[in-house]
Amino acid sequence: MKRASKIFTALMFVFLFAPIAILLLFSFNEARSLSVFSGFSLKWYRELFRDTETLKTVRNTLVLAVCAAGVSTVMGTAAAVGIHRMRSKYLRSALDMVTNIPMINPDIITGISMMLMFVFASRLFGFAASLSFITLLIAHITFCLPYVILQVLPRLRQMDKSLPEAAMDLGCTPWKAFWKVELPEIMPAIVTGMIMAFTLSLDDFVISYFTTGTGFQTLPIRIYNMTKKTVTPDMYALATLIFFVILALLLLSNLTDSEDSQKLRAARRAKRAAAGKPPADPRKQRILYACGGSLALVAVAAAIVFAVTETDNKPQVLNVYNWGEYISDGSEGSMDVVKEFERWYQEEYGRPVQVNYTTFASNEDMYAKLSSGAVRYDVVIPSDYMIARMIEEDMLLPLDFDNIPNYQYISDDFHGLYYDPDDAYSVPYAYGIVGVIYNANAVDEADASGWDLMWNEKYAGQILQFNNSRDAFGTAMYRAGMDVNTTDRSLWQSALDDLLAQRPLVKSYVMDEVYNMMESGEGAVAAYYAGDYFTMLDAQADTVDLRFYYPDPTNFYIDAMCVPSCCQNKQLAEIFINYMLSQEPAIANAEYTWYASPNTLVYENQDYIDEMGEDAMAILYPGWDDFAAQYNTYAYRNLDGELLDYINSLWETLKIN
Amino acid sequence: MDKIIELRNITKSFDGEVVLDNISLDIYDNEFITLLGPSGCGKTTTLRLIGGFETPDSGDVLFMGQRINDVPPHKRNVNTVFQRYALFPHLNVFENVAFPLRERKVPREEIETRVEEMLAMVALKGFEHRSVTSLSGGQQQRVAIARALVGKPRVLLLDEPLAALDLKLRKDMQQELKNIQKATGITFIFVTHDQEEALSMSDTIVVMSEGRIQQIGSSQDVYNEPKNAFVADFIGESNIVDGIMLRDKSVSFSGHTFACVDGGFAPSEPVDVVVRPEDVDIVPAGKGMLQGTVTSVTFMGVHYEVIVDIGGFKWMIQTTDFVAEGEHIGLYIEPDAIHIMKKSEYSGLYGDYASFSNEFDELSDAESEGSE
Repeated sequence: MKRASKIFTALMFVFLFAPIAILLLFSFNEARSLSVFSGFSLKWYRELFRDTETLKTVRNTLVLAVCAAGVSTVMGTAAAVGIHRMRSKYLRSALDMVTNIPMINPDIITGISMMLMFVFASRLFGFAASLSFITLLIAHITFCLPYVILQVLPRLRQMDKSLPEAAMDLGCTPWKAFWKVELPEIMPAIVTGMIMAFTLSLDDFVISYFTTGTGFQTLPIRIYNMTKKTVTPDMYALATLIFFVILALLLLSNLTDSEDSQKLRAARRAKRAAAGKPPADPRKQRILYACGGSLALVAVAAAIVFAVTETDNKPQVLNVYNWGEYISDGSEGSMDVVKEFERWYQEEYGRPVQVNYTTFASNEDMYAKLSSGAVRYDVVIPSDYMIARMIEEDMLLPLDFDNIPNYQYISDDFHGLYYDPDDAYSVPYAYGIVGVIYNANAVDEADASGWDLMWNEKYAGQILQFNNSRDAFGTAMYRAGMDVNTTDRSLWQSALDDLLAQRPLVKSYVMDEVYNMMESGEGAVAAYYAGDYFTMLDAQADTVDLRFYYPDPTNFYIDAMCVPSCCQNKQLAEIFINYMLSQEPAIANAEYTWYASPNTLVYENQDYIDEMGEDAMAILYPGWDDFAAQYNTYAYRNLDGELLDYINSLWETLKIN
Repeated sequence: MDKIIELRNITKSFDGEVVLDNISLDIYDNEFITLLGPSGCGKTTTLRLIGGFETPDSGDVLFMGQRINDVPPHKRNVNTVFQRYALFPHLNVFENVAFPLRERKVPREEIETRVEEMLAMVALKGFEHRSVTSLSGGQQQRVAIARALVGKPRVLLLDEPLAALDLKLRKDMQQELKNIQKATGITFIFVTHDQEEALSMSDTIVVMSEGRIQQIGSSQDVYNEPKNAFVADFIGESNIVDGIMLRDKSVSFSGHTFACVDGGFAPSEPVDVVVRPEDVDIVPAGKGMLQGTVTSVTFMGVHYEVIVDIGGFKWMIQTTDFVAEGEHIGLYIEPDAIHIMKKSEYSGLYGDYASFSNEFDELSDAESEGSE
């Protein structure tokens, strides 16, 4: 019995701390991979401090957390005191319950309702952009408040009711009695509440996601948006650092209460007495230490981040909204494109410009933000089908190509594509083609062609299929030679039959997990984008030999730069788009993202070709005879909602059966 | 002596419940006055009215002739020792005592000497820098007293200050409080529900019940001359029986006519008769004025507590002589041991020990059944 409980306890600790231990370990990994540890290195910490965009979001997060914690602590304490002093018992317990509701409320509901309120309020009062740092701050204060109240109120209840009366009896006004007696009494709870509010604000994602505005991004949102590719290991480094900062805060607040420190203080007091100094009051000191300590930690963290990021206040602002991890950001010695643009613009036009670069995780996220009307962006980079939809809904502005002379370098293949047939609204940024990735150590070279490999019974239990309906159906439909945009439901039904037949062979249905499963050799066959293949190749285990080929036909996607109708400075947006097409930044982006570029300045450049290597060039630019026709025939298009619902219901039957 | 505090026709209710019902009370300078009564009698509310923590619904509070109904606590020259001391936990002993002086911006040197003086008076020299939470109950009590007195108030209010202490410590503190009051000459208004404490400390006792003052007087007055059955019962033990005042100095109860020392009642007026248990002498059966059967005997240390059934009414008698249970005895009562009271609303509620003895019987019955 005793032994069992010991084992149980040990297991509990393993579950609690194993993830953190692994995070810690891999933050020191030489390689990018999460499955292979190739040696100790501080590389990712170095990278982290070079990544100005991430550090900017860290700074944002800290500024937000300090403001939110400060304001909610003051307001929460005042509220707790107010509730405590109420004479009516019913009112008191009612208020108590009401303040608890936001805590029980799911974050998602808080987030959505707050966004709605902000948008509604700004329409009511006629503000242009409703979401901003201020709305984010208000939201954070709102969800931190109940936690502060929850800390302070019980402490007030515990307090001897006659304490404030005693103070008044001895000559204090009620106000002074509060400051001199009640406040010191509840101070430990206030400090705990503040630390709690600080950490809550620090790691909030859901509510921030809904309430943040143009150009202000917090760290959790940035990390979430990195999921277009894998999360980079410098985030492990950052998470490790944050973990230790929080740990230090926690230790500090506990230390002030522990017995050891009491002994320590007793010794110090004796020393002071020996020196003839009046002894300091121990409780006052403890509170001072706790406050001072937390403030110092926050200040140090803020100072580091402020030192690395610039804090200037430029008048001209360009708001760019892009996928996460989709621009060369200065890491690993690459070019910091956003920073370089700011420098270049200053040189070229003699005026400063500030680029607020924020990221999204999916086309649908971006669409939701833009269509809410609560944000203002100048440049967005959505995918093809979304561009079609946005043009249809008048959400994009036609471009003035006089401001984008570099458009001439876009390959002819990218004219007259279905989503923007007149080439009026978009400038292609990058594209990708779905191919099949396989482990040559597990798959016969002879079998490696076409979509049939994914249905090959020889590799039962080693095949990875997409875990989203459109891509999964796509593999079956290309294989069967069907039109992937068909509205004929019987064709979708027969594609489902193929997927059902494939299911016994499938190891698992995956999205981002594909990286680790292929890198480690757990899966042997998977369909994914060419650019991502290189990411896996970079991190594959020693026993794995990943290869790649294109089945025919297959899916293409194109992401293109557009100017949304909420744009505030269209000319500046077009100058930015033009800059992105110029040789140096375009090559930097292509090398950073490993996706194919439609820009001739890139793929015809010898330095770029040398850098990528012959094999990679062959895969990224397979040289399609008639790209536009192929693309217009085989690429996914936007399907109407009813059909999508139908496809999703088919998908559910596949997943449930 | 000068009146320092006057309460005039004060009524106070909380949530529709009357806590003080038209009470009037004069408190004199340099007096040790005790408000005595069971919990809920309104004694603490009276104290809080004087301290300024409550305002009366009607009536006036006067301090040295000035109406102070609306003067906030911090402007009253009155300090309080709270029931649970209400020491400030974030301050040490010295700072707790220095608190009221710092509030008044007394010069630093004066603060030091006055605090030291106070700590010496309550025998806490050398405890200056101790945390108040590390002190024993008695020590905390002394700090609270020192803190309340250091500002030299005209009146000190004490709200059941000894309730949390154990018996031995309580006795010591009673003596000490009395000494402090004498030494400082400050008026003490003391609230307690402990009648022994009240009797041993007070110059004046105010007995309260159900929001009304029942009797005001010295310890001897309220013990020897209780005004009604409530006071007689609450202070000490009493046998209270119905009687008829035949004429001055002659009263009839329990089927016998007694000589007594009281007078001034109407002829044949029904009255309450009080006889204290220690004033009854046991004599052989047939020789006394009353005859009865002993129903229970309890040894109390100094004396025996004997319950005697006299015609269905149970009397309590305290005696140093042993009598056996079931024995027939006679009782003898001196004239000056009989105290006559007018009938009041409390008549018939107190003074019969029947319930007392019955309970006792039931308990012993239950015990004997259990052992069989």
